[in-house]
Amino acid sequence: MNSNIEKAFWLPGLAHLALGPAENWTDLKHAMTRAGESALAVKPDVYILYSAQWISVLGHSFQLDPNPSGIHVDENWHELGNLNFSFPVDVALTKRVMNFAEQAGLATKGVNYPGFPIDTGSLVFQHFFNPNGDIPVVILSSNIYCGKDDSMALGHAVSQALADSKQRAVVACVSSLSNRFLTEDISPVQDRFSSPEEDHWNQKMLTLFQSASYEEALRLSETYAKEASPEMMFKAFYWLMGVLEDKASRSAISSSSIPPAFLHHYGPLWGTGAAVLEWK
Amino acid sequence: MPVNSSSQDSSFRGEILAGFLAPHPPHLVYGENPPQNKPRSQGGWENLRWAYQQCREKIKALKPDVILVHSPHWQTVVGHHVLHVPHLSGLSVDPIFPHLFQYEFSMDVDVELASAIAEEAIQEGLLAKKMTNPQFRVDYGTIVSLHMLNPDWDIPVVGISANNSPYYFSHDVAQDQMIKLGRATQKAIEKTGRRAVLAASNTLSHLHFDREPDCPEDMSQEHVFSHAQYLYDMRVIELMRQGNLDELMAILPDFMEKTFAEVKAGSLVWMLAAMGFPTMPAQIHGYGTVIGTGNVVAEWDLTTARVAEVLTR
Ligand SMILES: [Fe+2]
Repeated sequence: MNSNIEKAFWLPGLAHLALGPAENWTDLKHAMTRAGESALAVKPDVYILYSAQWISVLGHSFQLDPNPSGIHVDENWHELGNLNFSFPVDVALTKRVMNFAEQAGLATKGVNYPGFPIDTGSLVFQHFFNPNGDIPVVILSSNIYCGKDDSMALGHAVSQALADSKQRAVVACVSSLSNRFLTEDISPVQDRFSSPEEDHWNQKMLTLFQSASYEEALRLSETYAKEASPEMMFKAFYWLMGVLEDKASRSAISSSSIPPAFLHHYGPLWGTGAAVLEWK
Repeated sequence: MPVNSSSQDSSFRGEILAGFLAPHPPHLVYGENPPQNKPRSQGGWENLRWAYQQCREKIKALKPDVILVHSPHWQTVVGHHVLHVPHLSGLSVDPIFPHLFQYEFSMDVDVELASAIAEEAIQEGLLAKKMTNPQFRVDYGTIVSLHMLNPDWDIPVVGISANNSPYYFSHDVAQDQMIKLGRATQKAIEKTGRRAVLAASNTLSHLHFDREPDCPEDMSQEHVFSHAQYLYDMRVIELMRQGNLDELMAILPDFMEKTFAEVKAGSLVWMLAAMGFPTMPAQIHGYGTVIGTGNVVAEWDLTTARVAEVLTR
């Protein structure tokens, strides 16, 4: 694991975690709060955020607005209210990541437009990890056409850029595990996984993460993607492996190079698989 | 709200005047350079823009009370949602083509009709919701289709979301839901006495290039994604021209699978169902590709069909 990376996280990103009555989904919210506090405790220079909810089709998009700000309303759960946001983007580091990504043959696209729609997942992350909006962030999109290798290459570009800039970073991916929503209105106590099979597969992957069995997780990932419909076909996992793996052993993820994950909480969130994981 | 007061008399039975297949590549607004959109272009995609020009004239002549649009880019997973704020405004930036579309929108919403659609949808057994948050940023699909049909924005609108969840189950479930939503829309229009125009905001074949030229409106770079995709578009358009909706509905699943067609979002089926699956030939105003996708601007004018019906009685 790149020595510039202090910690890494896997997080859910639905609006219910940051908005709505405090008494709903409390276990998940507490886990998110603990994870956020753990990240803030290391006083990172920068956050690197991969959000599976920021979907791009013309290559990989990167946020280049130095200070995105505004009001966001979730397109499905608009009744929960508004997410107000304002946070700094580390434009120099972002450009460094883009350079390495381009060198790896990936198509990149910087976005810097007032009013650009920041996705709900990125803002849920801000809510728990950057409550004062004072830690600079690098945000990358999830390219719909990008497979396992390119996602890992994108992760490598992050790792290379951090090694270059010598900044101390916390990296995070916001992504559901299984991503099939319950399609009816529910109260939080009625929440459950959309299917027991998806729950089973999620737990299988979580067990592999907790035992640092990443080679096995990578081997099973395509079957998992088919059986449990993880968000964006599990690209966030490939990206995270690309960020965390030892560059020297790129061809085979060495179990010893990435520590086991600590599971803060796992449970359903409107039918999807929500896990709060931390790598120290 | 600039509405035709005579037709909103509740004793008047509302009707759908016409339906338009109104695809929403933001490139079309970009190519036109309207004052609402910040990026400037040298034009481009004229065949589609001229097609829309004909629709604009038609809509002006029809004088509808309302334009309804079903958009794939307002994606909801729990229920079918309708815009339900009397006036919505703001800046809508396309997340995929932000360099082409940064649009200051301002629209009046026919909330009475929107309510009626939600109620009728519930009567049909669907889950329906009203979007009442005034800060809501309207999606670019809704805005592009509405702008291209009526850039003056002087006709109230109803925006309907695309509920993606039916596709968790099967194609038949999804189609069934869109048919019910179409029926609910038709009943709501009838009961509220509206003279309505419908817009299905869908591209046909949707496989596209993932890199664009440095000058996005360089038309020397614009062409169909593949011959196979083009042929399938032509097959679908020919069925529209023939009014052969039975066969059109039959091939839709294969069309969606082979060409990634955006009609999968349900807008076209919603519109055809609301119009009672008219067997009249559709009028094709124009076909063109945008970054390789296939787009047709098509019209079903139900007023001419009704006149023809009366004359043959
Ligand atoms: Fe679209």
